[in-house]
Amino acid sequence: MENLNLILPEIFISLSIMFLLILGVFKKDSSKITVNLSLFVILITTIITINETFSVNRETLFNGSIVIDQMSSLMKIITLIGGFLVLVISSTYLKIFKLYNIEYPILIISSILGMMVMISSNDLIVFYMGLELQSLALYVLATYNRDQLKSSEAGLKYFVLSALSSGLLLYGCSLVYGFSGSTNFDIISNQLNSNEYVLTFGIVFILVGLAFKISAVPFHMWAPDVYEGSPTTVTLFFTIVPKIAALTVFIRFLYVPFLNLIDQWQMIIIFLSIASMIFGAVAAIGQTNIKRLIAYSSISHIGYTLAGLATATNEGIQSSIIYISIYVVMNLALFSCLLMLKRKDQYYEDIDDLSGLSKNHPLLSLCLLLILFSLAGIPPLAGFFAKFYVFKAVLEQSMYFLAIVGLLSTVVAAFYYLRIIKIIYFDKEKDKYDTDHSLWLKFSLTVSTILILFYFIFPSLLIDVVSRINII
Amino acid sequence: MIVHSIFFYTFSLIAIISAIMVTASKNTVHSVFFLILDFISISCLFIMIGAEFLGMIMLIVYVGAVAVLFLFVVMMLNVAQQKNQWFAAKDSSKHIPIGLIISTLIFVEIIIVIGGWKYKPEIFDLNNSLTQFSLSNTHSLGQILYTDYIHVFQISGMILLVAMIGAIVLTFRQRAGVKRQSYIKQISRERAEGVEVLEVETNKGVRIDE
Repeated sequence: MENLNLILPEIFISLSIMFLLILGVFKKDSSKITVNLSLFVILITTIITINETFSVNRETLFNGSIVIDQMSSLMKIITLIGGFLVLVISSTYLKIFKLYNIEYPILIISSILGMMVMISSNDLIVFYMGLELQSLALYVLATYNRDQLKSSEAGLKYFVLSALSSGLLLYGCSLVYGFSGSTNFDIISNQLNSNEYVLTFGIVFILVGLAFKISAVPFHMWAPDVYEGSPTTVTLFFTIVPKIAALTVFIRFLYVPFLNLIDQWQMIIIFLSIASMIFGAVAAIGQTNIKRLIAYSSISHIGYTLAGLATATNEGIQSSIIYISIYVVMNLALFSCLLMLKRKDQYYEDIDDLSGLSKNHPLLSLCLLLILFSLAGIPPLAGFFAKFYVFKAVLEQSMYFLAIVGLLSTVVAAFYYLRIIKIIYFDKEKDKYDTDHSLWLKFSLTVSTILILFYFIFPSLLIDVVSRINII
Repeated sequence: MIVHSIFFYTFSLIAIISAIMVTASKNTVHSVFFLILDFISISCLFIMIGAEFLGMIMLIVYVGAVAVLFLFVVMMLNVAQQKNQWFAAKDSSKHIPIGLIISTLIFVEIIIVIGGWKYKPEIFDLNNSLTQFSLSNTHSLGQILYTDYIHVFQISGMILLVAMIGAIVLTFRQRAGVKRQSYIKQISRERAEGVEVLEVETNKGVRIDE
């Protein structure tokens, strides 16, 4: 008998999805109660995850096809907290756009379920199932504001391109299965050795599919359009939560089944990383829409995370995980600010709308200043430390070229972050924005800004947790 | 073995050609027909390697349900445009030869596979296929589907649920002004609600529906 306690979070969350659906069907006007219950469900799932799996070192279930280890439990917790905060700050936005109904939270938690399956997958089939579950929910979420042309376009674009990348990914999986004779990551790892050059095809196809999911250059084309077209709260979900799951799968793929083939994939990862860093930094300069800008900035941030992965050391992996955690906090804060730019039930998302913000809203401007400085990587804010750990890990492996390109693109990226700060503080002021924000929105902005600002006092809190992750 | 390779190459050739024709043919209805032909050829290939369950599922699900649904959707779209091409008398001869070719091919394929499988089972025998075990293909699939792969099975159930929710979210619209029948309301109507007696003044009339 398997120790089913280890997958209790997944079981609980799937049962809750069905319960909430039935509740939504039979109770009239149940949007509010469904949203609140979903928040509660995510909270309980987080507690169960911490309780059941956090102390587990490494255990496998179902013939080794699901693995529960330090990385999976930490990433699950980050995913759940991210999903919770996204759901909690999105209610005002959804109400204004008349999207506040029962399906929204249900789709969010089912996509979280998919991500949890992905995170703890140790088998090609389970991994693909989780991937499909999360992306199917994400397609619908992108199209959620279906009466708006841009939202439908975003959803369709995401669906078509994602289906294409899933096809490539599956082709790669079938090649790997064909050469190794198993879908289990551990068995594949034992079966493969670096002499089989044919396998490079399989790896390339799988990496292409995965790179698409985290929108690394040159598979990033969908990101700006989808981010711009989707409802803002869905964009927030897109920028933070699926990235965590996809990064975990990336780590799992590179360091479990393909560990022996490091010569084949290391160059690919370095290329993806360099291309994403440079492209994300350069392409964001000309943007006028904040959501598009965030899309490009998230592409360059993914580049830095991949730089950590390219090192093939435990320190590199840990630095990537720290990077993505801090990235989640920074993006959450940035989107909280974006959701505050509301005037008479209308949201503003152009960079020009920020002009002169400091005169009317000094506190919000200060938060934005800190967040943007942190995104640019200026000490002593959290974003600096994130980049610092990654570059430290990269330099320890004497990969100087990667580090130099990364630092140079940070300088380029700093330009457009500083430009926004200039617009906020030195440009002509505009009309006042509303100040009657929901408590949760203020809460999430405050907490994330405090985390960014005071990370340097207690860096060990995060580092201690992450340093328990030993993949290799 | 030579018979086996002849069949294999026939089916794969048909599959490849029809797959190309799906994208190459200008008429969308023809594309769907080629898609059906492609599915059938692939299911024949599955049956040849001893995966008869997969082959039959392919036939039932893809040909029987998906492709036919597809055909309906394609025929429903642009009905006016298609009508001219399809039902006008002078053009009707164009699609009949293609339809005949495809249907004959499908018929021959089925005859070959079913006939060969029925009367000469050893011609499809492959050393590494599952048929060397005493259990049938369907049997062995069923045995692991609910035991070793139960979690995957459950997750695919969740995927279908999400797909259903998604379809409803994207297409369901609550229309304003739709009048629905409510039997309770109809039966429980009293005279007082429906009828009002008014004092009508001479030469003035009554305005109703206010």
